[in-house]
Amino acid sequence: MASREVIQYETPLSRAFRWFSAVFLAFYVVWTVLPLFIMFMSSFKDLLEAFKLPAVGDWAGVTVFFEFTPTTKHYYELFARLGFTTYLFNSLVAAGGSAVVSVILGSMCAYSLSRIDFKGKGDLFFWIISTRMAPVVAVMVPLYWIFRQLDLVGTLPGLILAYTTFNLPFAIWILKGFFDNVPYAIEEAQMIDGATRFQALRAILPLVAPGIGAFVVLCILFAWNDYLFAAIIGSGGAKTLPAATRELVQPQNIQWGQIMAAGVVTTLPMMFLGLVIRKYLVTGLTMGAVKE
Amino acid sequence: MAKVSFRNVWKKYGDMPAVKDLNIECPDGSFLSVLGPSGCGKSSTMRMVAGLEHITSGQILFDERPINGLAPKDRDVAMVFENYALYPHKSVYENMANPLKLRGQDASVIKERVTAAAKLLEINHLLERRPQELSGGQKQRVAIGRAIVREPNLFLFDEPIAHLDAKLRAHMRGEIKHLQRTLGTTMIYVTHDQLEAMSMADTIAVMHDGELQQLGTPREVYNHPVNAWVAGFVGEPAMNFVDVGVEDRAGRAHFIHQNFAVPVTEEQQRRLSDGSRGSALRMGVRPDALSISMTKPSDSCITGKIFVTELLGGDMIVDVDLDDCRIRVKTSTEFSGEEGQTCYMTVNTNKWHAFSKENGKAFF
Ligand SMILES: Nc1ncnc2c1ncn2[C@@H]1O[C@H](COP(=O)(O)OP(=O)(O)OP(=O)(O)O)[C@@H](O)[C@H]1O
Ligand SMILES: [Mg+2]
Repeated sequence: MASREVIQYETPLSRAFRWFSAVFLAFYVVWTVLPLFIMFMSSFKDLLEAFKLPAVGDWAGVTVFFEFTPTTKHYYELFARLGFTTYLFNSLVAAGGSAVVSVILGSMCAYSLSRIDFKGKGDLFFWIISTRMAPVVAVMVPLYWIFRQLDLVGTLPGLILAYTTFNLPFAIWILKGFFDNVPYAIEEAQMIDGATRFQALRAILPLVAPGIGAFVVLCILFAWNDYLFAAIIGSGGAKTLPAATRELVQPQNIQWGQIMAAGVVTTLPMMFLGLVIRKYLVTGLTMGAVKE
Repeated sequence: MAKVSFRNVWKKYGDMPAVKDLNIECPDGSFLSVLGPSGCGKSSTMRMVAGLEHITSGQILFDERPINGLAPKDRDVAMVFENYALYPHKSVYENMANPLKLRGQDASVIKERVTAAAKLLEINHLLERRPQELSGGQKQRVAIGRAIVREPNLFLFDEPIAHLDAKLRAHMRGEIKHLQRTLGTTMIYVTHDQLEAMSMADTIAVMHDGELQQLGTPREVYNHPVNAWVAGFVGEPAMNFVDVGVEDRAGRAHFIHQNFAVPVTEEQQRRLSDGSRGSALRMGVRPDALSISMTKPSDSCITGKIFVTELLGGDMIVDVDLDDCRIRVKTSTEFSGEEGQTCYMTVNTNKWHAFSKENGKAFF
């Protein structure tokens, strides 16, 4: 194989561009990391300490930001008094459940669309994609009505179903590409080796595993971070973390400390998930793209 | 092991026929080679036997049992794919073990068989590798290994060595033929290389445009091609074709051309139908059925002018211009003619052929 190195030669323009990108990236890192950092710190501060801010332009005063006695009382409040254990559990079940359901149905559907030719296949595929084109708010009211009729409002299965409705077309679309990349000859070889049609499909799953993995993450992220469905379909019995956090904003007082702590509780699992699967995702995605 | 029969087998993709009315009997334990140029329907034929394509019409039978409706796994065939189709995420060992695993063999049996096959194919040092880490020749041997670890009804090899270099190909020809003889399993071997078919097969089925042209032993196909197309496809260098007229001279039919008039043998005279007199025929003669010299040996020789000479190791090929065509002659390296000189060729009339100009059918 030829070297993958991208050959570049230095020109004044490229040097200027490099400087520019370095500065840009520095700003970008601050822009994205700072809020998280402040959230994390504030969640361990008492309310008064949290609002101790230096005056504008007083750079030396930044140190007041770090002057506080750490407290875990906000976390204690969340879990002991406000029932965040349940909300965390609801979030996990809703996100995980819809990811699992979408991935199972989605891979079967994507596989069929990838392997079997039938009349109207193009139209069907377009229709599946097009269900994602309407904005969520536009379908919310009819969806709510349907769920109401089915007694699904305020239940975890209802929430899982709602997320699946939106994740499934996406799953089919992503996974079809991954199945398309696996040569059919591999399944043929399996069948000659003595596999049934279904065993042959199972045998190529490791080859699309990176795609499935990538999709599961996207799916979980969608459901985990969602507020709209959680607030409307999940309201009451199936409250998830974002919906519960929103309720900490009360007309008389805003529980900043608890909101920050809830933010950390919501963010940490996803960060952790990202770290765990990062390597797998990066190596995996390239492997799926290589044809035999 | 099984006898394989094709009865009026057709394969159509949409309206386009890829295999037309195929009839072949392949006896148990024999080596059948399906030979033809690219796109003639060889792989389609193979895939119908394996169960990877529907049979449009007709029947394929194993031991007189129709298999049209059987799933691939129930046909119990082992196939080497044109593109190898190895499992990219599995090691060589797992690739070769797969058919045994799927058939529920014990781990110890699997190990024994895979090791034995790997040894036979000289890939036992590669068992831990993945297909991406193998050369083309090694991949091909893994693909063959995956086919031979079990004892199927039938082997199907689809141009398994087409992508190898000439030397390795020659080596593998011998290996595969030996393997088939040792195992005694019926083999259908697809190739577009006539040399492979000639050197390995018991029976050759020559195909062209989806139609079976000739079914016969390598000797029959080479010595008695049924039509001009087969004659031209089989043999290297290819057969020379010259359009000739037929005339009776002194009671014997002669092939008449601007550059020569050569009488046919008695046997050949009988085979030429009476209608052929006066009409045009296509004479076919292989380069090695001609002998060339710089002096005129007799009256019934062909006169031409040397166009070019090519030295091919132990042989020499001389291209000779006749008035209206060019023919090639195989001779020894001692031949000393120069380009542009006039030369004389004598035909071994026991080894020449005559084809109808209309439909290409062979008279002899
Ligand atoms: N899936 C298909 N759909 C439509 N036409 C096909 C299909 N597969 C093969 N064909 C056509 O059928 C004919 C025979 O194809 P086949 O693959 O059997 O040829 P082949 O003899 O194996 O050629 P090669 O030596 O190049 O492998 C070709 O004209 C090809 O274009
Ligand atoms: Mg082919």
